[in-house]
Amino acid sequence: MTLSELCAPAQDYSYAFLDAFAKRELRRRILKSIAIPGYQVPYASRELPIARGWGTGGLQVTLSLVGPRDTVKVIDQGDDQSVNAANLRRFIARMSGVDTTIDTLAATLIQSRHRVPEEILHEGQILVLQVPDPEPLRRATPSMTIAREMHADADYAVMWLNLYEQIVRYGEFTGGASYPVLVNNRYVMSPSPIPRWDNPKLHQAAHLTLLSAGREKRLYAVPPYTDVRPLEFEDVFFKIESQHGRRDRLTGATHKFMDEIAQADGGSTYSLSDTGYQDKLVRRQNGEDVALGATYYDDFGDFYHAGFLKS
Amino acid sequence: MYVAARGGETAISNAETLYRALNGPLKPEFVRGIEQTLPYLVDRVMAEGSLYAPQLAALAIAQTGGDVYEAVLLMRAYRSTVPRLAYAEPITEVDLLVVRRISAAFKDIPGGQVLGPTLDYSHRILHTEALTTTVTPETPAEAEAPAPRGYPSVADWHRINGLLPPTPTIERPVAAEMPDVTRDPIAFPAPRAHRLQSLARAETGGVLALGYASMRGFGMIHPTVNEVRLAYADVTLRHPVTGTAFSLGRARISACEVVNNLHDRLELGFTATLGWNEVKTISGAMLDMEMDKTETHPAHSEEFVLYHTEAVESSGFCIHYKLPHYVTFNSGLDALRRVLLTRDVERKRRVIGESVATEDEEALA
Repeated sequence: MTLSELCAPAQDYSYAFLDAFAKRELRRRILKSIAIPGYQVPYASRELPIARGWGTGGLQVTLSLVGPRDTVKVIDQGDDQSVNAANLRRFIARMSGVDTTIDTLAATLIQSRHRVPEEILHEGQILVLQVPDPEPLRRATPSMTIAREMHADADYAVMWLNLYEQIVRYGEFTGGASYPVLVNNRYVMSPSPIPRWDNPKLHQAAHLTLLSAGREKRLYAVPPYTDVRPLEFEDVFFKIESQHGRRDRLTGATHKFMDEIAQADGGSTYSLSDTGYQDKLVRRQNGEDVALGATYYDDFGDFYHAGFLKS
Repeated sequence: MYVAARGGETAISNAETLYRALNGPLKPEFVRGIEQTLPYLVDRVMAEGSLYAPQLAALAIAQTGGDVYEAVLLMRAYRSTVPRLAYAEPITEVDLLVVRRISAAFKDIPGGQVLGPTLDYSHRILHTEALTTTVTPETPAEAEAPAPRGYPSVADWHRINGLLPPTPTIERPVAAEMPDVTRDPIAFPAPRAHRLQSLARAETGGVLALGYASMRGFGMIHPTVNEVRLAYADVTLRHPVTGTAFSLGRARISACEVVNNLHDRLELGFTATLGWNEVKTISGAMLDMEMDKTETHPAHSEEFVLYHTEAVESSGFCIHYKLPHYVTFNSGLDALRRVLLTRDVERKRRVIGESVATEDEEALA
């Protein structure tokens, strides 16, 4: 028996890159964020070997949660093949040895930038959203100190005023992605720059959503089965992006979030933004036996929580 | 292992290969050469990378072709993988092994003005002859007497003369209990330790830009450099069992203290950093003093200064704009088109009454 036989084999890096103290801190902050839905929990935020602002917040959460039995999916703008998604997936797999997938149904952990998949996520799945700016009040005040006070007081008058001004000036709500939501009837939260199409998917969802901003050092959560309501008036309603007349150029699918692809003649064609879903539709058209999950919006464009979207 | 997708991975792998091929081979002698011949660049990468390791900093510079932001990121990312094993003993100004210390506040100071190594008073002329022949520096003049072990602090002279309050007597600080900006999220108003640590790690150009804005006219004051120091600091540890102090080596550090006359008292501003970097420590010391003011110029706000001079966060966020944003852009386009359509429908209603094109109304629904 030698000493080297008794020792664990030396490793250049900890499992899943982060050292145990960093992971412990992150897990504690995640638990706190789940306990206070929509509340931004500050955390130290370690530097990772990818640039800040490229998903380091989401990546830290993923690395602190991932285990050998997980299956990880990574998307950017809905696309598994996007270069940064490919890079993050490559890094997670390299540092943790997990299986990766493009199938939403098969993933236990989904790290995403700017999209929620089209197939309904189920209990036990975790969606990790990368967040550039966690602060929905940023346009009202650039100061984190003042914004924190406003959250503490639930002082969101300026958000309602902002919506009112949009209607007065433009006749419509003019917010694009990152449309603010009220979580659990307490905290106004930025859902990260997901399109408005994806906002309702967070409401009373079966899965856990974790949102993490590495550069800004804040993480927050939407626990399963929590109310998440877009800010809207009783008589003027929040509207999702119109997919009216849009048809996926590969599969003919409709009523899903489409990427608009500019054409040389000045027109546009459309392609499903959720490429994992598109991939399954294509394979099914080619006669493969593919398990398709139910989607948040059905083939008529109706949302699965009837009555949640008002018109 | 099942690997999800290959297309994107091949593309990024090819892009990195091309970058490395253009930069040429990485050789040990090249890395050693950087460490020996570019000490100020190595210092800057260590300070902003928040990791004192000249060899690794030289490697980071070599590996990134001299892209300082990338080199700093390499150091910070490496830093995330190494555990913190121990804390060095605290040191004070007078413990430093000083090679240069000057004060602009007095013609002469106790211990004397020590010019040390500097280009301050030289002609900034390109030595073009070095393009064809080796230019060997002259041998420095022998010292007449050995340098003293330490130099007294100029601020202590102010204190003796009642111009500054005495140094507060605090318990010997326990390093492990000090607020640590790499382990705690920063909140404002920040503990003094967080502020000084953030300035020590801050990006030199950012600190200079904000400091210069303040110096040039957006500040309220024109402080005086009380003392600027370039020095070596002993890094001393205590043995965890015996408690015996032992040296781990020496680190190059720089520090600057500025002083301002407030009519009935003096006030100080301070910044120190790893490596020798006078521009950053002078700018940082000015900002340290200004950040206590109530006046709301951005360069006087601690939150503004500390957030926006963070080397890795600012550069990383800047380059993230290269990432695809088509989903968010399209979401904005949808809102814009809706506004235009609403205007159009209203205009038609006004002109041709109720019979608005049904297609428009459908699209709006």
